[in-house]
Amino acid sequence: MRYLNYFLPRPLRFMAVFLLLAGAATAVWAQENSPTPPPPTPHSGSPLHPTFPLLDINGQNVLDSGAGVSPMQTCGSCHDTAFIAQHSFHADVGLADQTAAGQLPQSRPWETSTGLFGRWDPITYRTLSPMGDERLDLTTADWQMTLGARHVGGGPAVIGRDGQPLASLVPTMGDMETGTRGADGQWQAWDWNTSGTAEMNCFLCHLPESDNASRVQSLADGQFGWAATATLAQTTLVTHTAEGWAWNTAAFDPNGNLLPELVTVQDPTNANCGQCHGVVQSDPNTPLVLENYGGGDYTSLTTGQIFSPQRMDQSGLNLADKQTLSRSWDVHAERVVQCTNCHYALNNPVYYQEGPDKPAHLAFDPRRLDFGDYLYRPLHQFASGTSPQSNLAAEFDNTLRSCQSCHNTAADHGWLPYLERHTAALSCQSCHVPQLYGPALSYIDWTVLVDEQTPVQAYRSTATGHDINSTTLLTGYEPVLLPRPAADGTAPLTPFNLIASWYWVYGDPARPVPLPDLQAAWFTAESTYQPALLATFDTNQDGQLSQDELQISNSAQETAVANRLRALGLANPRIMGEVQPYTISHNVIQGEWVTRSCQTCHTADSRLSQPLPVADRLPGGVMPTLMGNGVVQWAGELQPDTATGGLLFQPQPATADLYVLGHGTVAWVDRLGVALFTAVLSGIVIHGGARVLVARRQTPAPAHAGPRVYMYDVYERLWHWLQTAAILLLIFTGLIIHKPDQFGLFSFAYVVQVHNVLAAVLVINAALSLFYHLVSGEIRQFLPRPRGFFDQAIVQTRYYLRGIFKGEDHPIAKSRDHKLNPLQQITYLIILNILLPLQIITGALMWGTQRWPELVQQVGGLPFLAPFHSLIAWLFTSFIILHVYLTTTGHTPLAGIKAMMLGWEEGGE
Amino acid sequence: MNEFKLTWLFGLLATAIIIILPISLFISTESPVPNDPWQFVPPDLPQTSHTDLIQGPLTTGAEVTQECLRCHEDAAHEIMGTTHWTWESDPILLPGRDEPVTVGKKNQLNNFCIGIAGNWNKCTSCHIGYGWEDENFDFTEQTNVDCLSCHADTALYGKGLFGYPADGVDLVAAAQSVGNPTRQNCGSCHFDGGGGNAVKHGDLDESLYFPTEAIDVHMGRYDFQCVDCHQTEDHQVPGQMISVSPVAQGPSLSCQDCHQDVPHEDERINTHLEAVACQTCHIPQGAVRTPTKMDWDWSTAGQDLPEDPHLYLKIKGSFVYEQGFTPTYAWFNGTADRYIVGDTIVPTQTTVLNQPMGNITDTSAQIWPFKVHNAQQPYDAQNNYLLIPLTAGEGGFWTDFDWDNAFRSNVENTGLAYSGEYDFAPTQMYWTLTHMVAPKEQALQCTSCHGTENGRLDWQALGYPGDPLYWGGR
Repeated sequence: MRYLNYFLPRPLRFMAVFLLLAGAATAVWAQENSPTPPPPTPHSGSPLHPTFPLLDINGQNVLDSGAGVSPMQTCGSCHDTAFIAQHSFHADVGLADQTAAGQLPQSRPWETSTGLFGRWDPITYRTLSPMGDERLDLTTADWQMTLGARHVGGGPAVIGRDGQPLASLVPTMGDMETGTRGADGQWQAWDWNTSGTAEMNCFLCHLPESDNASRVQSLADGQFGWAATATLAQTTLVTHTAEGWAWNTAAFDPNGNLLPELVTVQDPTNANCGQCHGVVQSDPNTPLVLENYGGGDYTSLTTGQIFSPQRMDQSGLNLADKQTLSRSWDVHAERVVQCTNCHYALNNPVYYQEGPDKPAHLAFDPRRLDFGDYLYRPLHQFASGTSPQSNLAAEFDNTLRSCQSCHNTAADHGWLPYLERHTAALSCQSCHVPQLYGPALSYIDWTVLVDEQTPVQAYRSTATGHDINSTTLLTGYEPVLLPRPAADGTAPLTPFNLIASWYWVYGDPARPVPLPDLQAAWFTAESTYQPALLATFDTNQDGQLSQDELQISNSAQETAVANRLRALGLANPRIMGEVQPYTISHNVIQGEWVTRSCQTCHTADSRLSQPLPVADRLPGGVMPTLMGNGVVQWAGELQPDTATGGLLFQPQPATADLYVLGHGTVAWVDRLGVALFTAVLSGIVIHGGARVLVARRQTPAPAHAGPRVYMYDVYERLWHWLQTAAILLLIFTGLIIHKPDQFGLFSFAYVVQVHNVLAAVLVINAALSLFYHLVSGEIRQFLPRPRGFFDQAIVQTRYYLRGIFKGEDHPIAKSRDHKLNPLQQITYLIILNILLPLQIITGALMWGTQRWPELVQQVGGLPFLAPFHSLIAWLFTSFIILHVYLTTTGHTPLAGIKAMMLGWEEGGE
Repeated sequence: MNEFKLTWLFGLLATAIIIILPISLFISTESPVPNDPWQFVPPDLPQTSHTDLIQGPLTTGAEVTQECLRCHEDAAHEIMGTTHWTWESDPILLPGRDEPVTVGKKNQLNNFCIGIAGNWNKCTSCHIGYGWEDENFDFTEQTNVDCLSCHADTALYGKGLFGYPADGVDLVAAAQSVGNPTRQNCGSCHFDGGGGNAVKHGDLDESLYFPTEAIDVHMGRYDFQCVDCHQTEDHQVPGQMISVSPVAQGPSLSCQDCHQDVPHEDERINTHLEAVACQTCHIPQGAVRTPTKMDWDWSTAGQDLPEDPHLYLKIKGSFVYEQGFTPTYAWFNGTADRYIVGDTIVPTQTTVLNQPMGNITDTSAQIWPFKVHNAQQPYDAQNNYLLIPLTAGEGGFWTDFDWDNAFRSNVENTGLAYSGEYDFAPTQMYWTLTHMVAPKEQALQCTSCHGTENGRLDWQALGYPGDPLYWGGR
């Protein structure tokens, strides 16, 4: 009852109960009074749904009246159809939030609502004319005749913008709701009582044999009242003759009820949804084909998604490398998950989810809507995600269950290192929808017309233009990955298709040029191109305009079309362009087909920054605007595509605060590091070279036969060499992680793990040696003594610069208790107290991105930590070569190293 | 200097151990493929050429066998312990019977050519012996064993009436050609069961001599020989066919011999194995390339109708053949019931000659794919039991087209009394489908059975309340 309570004020609730009781009583009465109770016959119809009469809009049996069927009356005998129609964004499509043009946030200047009725779509192009606009594109009636194909009926097809039934409106000159655009472009009255109105059409979604094509034809013919009847064209209930629709009495029993075997009412199947939403196929044994691919396949058209359980290699499509594509189109379809399993009616008790308002003392609240209530008032608001294209019914955004609410990611992603980090940065779809194979639009150019209805358009994954069928070679395409802000503040990368569009607008505020005007601009009455335009565009002068020729690539062409539009009375015609992102959540796959290789992303030419070609043209030189309605974060930019002269989208994950190891590098850090390294190396080469030269000239001084000194004890030597090995290996593995392309031999995931273990070894070793030095007091050797420090430092520096070449002895004697000269002391002080801790901390934080993401985010996240870590690594590398070189400045070049190995230093003072 | 080396070495070792130990301890490397089926496939052993080992002249099969036994002393003895030789099982207790019975081609009947009693001349041409001419055949005589039928090059050897070498066979050349049995050796009998190519099994026919992978993934993609799976020890060939072996006898054979443990990456599919045999999904159709006999109506035999080997033959009656048929699915726990010669039937009802055992409550049973062969076959209208006619040869139905005489003259061979009245009754036999495994890309999908009105499985007939996807499994 939760939803009932929510939606109904108390009196209505009593009413509902009363209606239920009354209905039950009527049923009992009808049972007792029916002359011959029909025997329970086995039939192929719905196993549960009782038979019923078809009623017309006045509640009369259609067999008596001969009128069209009224779903609201017919289904309303048992279900609360008024409630259903009121609570359905499929019916409302934006009627409820109609405003004046351009008032809604992020809307175009001519848009009046968030839904199909008032929101503009560059694919369907036609514009619902705002009230009061002088120039007509679509009135309400025109909208139904064109865009009504994508509307289930009800809402704006029945009710006017001010809430009055359309049938009750009196035609007023120029009124958008009571007129139509005539052939001359002028307003003409529209008689709603003649046309009838298209009620919300239960049959379209609830009958297996619903006929959408007939319904659409009926709407296009302006016979709105017959649309529901036309939906039954594939049943035996009705036949279409030249005179119209006629009911077949043979399909009904003597009481005027449908024969039980003809009652096929059911839950909407994938096929029902597919009639408007995309290419859907349910029978795995019939090869999938594309027929009349276009506006009725909206989701497929915009993204290439195809919902079918069939293996792709068994489909009827012409796919590249088809024999290798033994996966199904969609694993959910394959696993018998229906559209309605995710996009369920929100008060369906099967999908009941506990609200957040349950008191803490309750473990289970049994009071909830039961099936009877649900069947009486099934909420026709369906669980949904979010769409960059529409804000319609925003209160139901993200009501859809997320992937994780059904799937346990941890259970089968054990192989994936840094699982939490990966799942925070990537949506499931990023890896599980790597490739789409249906033909998806890439651009649509309404500035030119191929024929009177068709713009120039191009599809991804195929080279073909607007004509798509099952023989079109489809190569598949990789969607672009863009951050999609989620409710919890994260913005995981999600696959999108991008569609660019260009179109003419006129006037102020801007309005798209109505299609009839565009047609008139381009075509003569004989449907041939206007001679002026033909001359301007026909570059090869063959009298035809090819798809390539049909593009506005210079100002002469732009002016020519603009002049034609001006001549039709359109003020200030100009080209606008936009890019729309289309989310991709279907065509999910599993197993071996999923993106699993680290190298897909963790490499220089990472999948994450692959540019997506958008168009091979730039009509009028207009750079399109990136749209997105807040659903996408545009991490990247449109760039001219030098290859095609068109446009591509270059993703820049770094702008979305994503640092991808092995891919993202900060150029100046590496440049600085290399410069430092080179400088140190050159210094060593010069200094060392000079020493060698000098040594050659001078006769070697007789070896100072000093005493052997036990300089380093065993532990000192062990920690030193252990640290040496760890640091060298850390630098090497770090380099592989930083530039995996250069080291293709190594497994990225493995090297990352080795790097982590080595880091642990280094930290433990450092800690133990610190403990040793503290306890033994050896730490004192590392601490510079304030007195005379600078003098001695200068002396030591002078020695390196001058004395060493003269064969002088070290100015500061090295002994068991004074191993380090002041320069060494200051160097180690910096390294051990600043560089090493910083490197350990940044490294630990990078490792911790998945344990403590918030903490890491606070200190700058990977985009700060990773380059910083690299920078210190460069400093370490430079130090090491300097350090190694300086060990050769001892008594003999190898004396220092030998001492560190054996403990004994020969020839000290 | 020695001290230097020692310290140096020791230090290096200590450092290396401290570095390598944690790395090897803490880093998991991808484990190798846990169960590689190839490890269970026998290697191709080199074959010994017998060209120089065998000199002629050899004029009879028995002489060939003697020649073989010179070196392979136990071979004939081993053979005699196999059902390939005896055509009869050990005594087994079938459900609902008090006495153990033996089952096999030797003493029982089927609903193809019915029974071998009296018809040895044709039937025993597929017996691995020489000269099974009547019930007095000596099963203990070692030289009666036909080594060549399984080991000779089939291009050089063939069998004729009563299992004797076919006329014109050069026995020396045949004997010199021996080697491990090939698909051709096994196929010369097993692919032609029921009287011709592809007639009987539905998953064994001559398309397997040179199969594509679409016909059989093991033989087509990987060039398996029969004996790669039917791995033979001491001439015992593992395997079981419920038409002649209602209960497994000797070593058994299953997919899991090679495909062990958890065969699929997908847990959802693995859980199916509790109720579904591998074959059910991986053999989506029977008779992939060549049509097989699905129905045999003996009652129309003997008429002068237009003949077509796939539709009607005067000697055999009318047939229905089908290619790529959808299997019949039933619970099967590895055993079957069996019609025993002399059992009474209800002529108006279909008699199932070898009903697979198992049901939804039998945890050892899985849903299996079967070819179901229907027939109208003769029975004694007074005694109500199925009859075995004399078919081939003198006085047989195929010569005289006289049923009455064919039954009467076979009484002494079958030991079944004939009342003088006969009619035809419907019978049915189940044939497990286990060969012609499709490539995995062609295996059944979820929607083949689940979530659809016209799926392959009739859930309620199998004992489920409804599609277990929604109603839960057993």
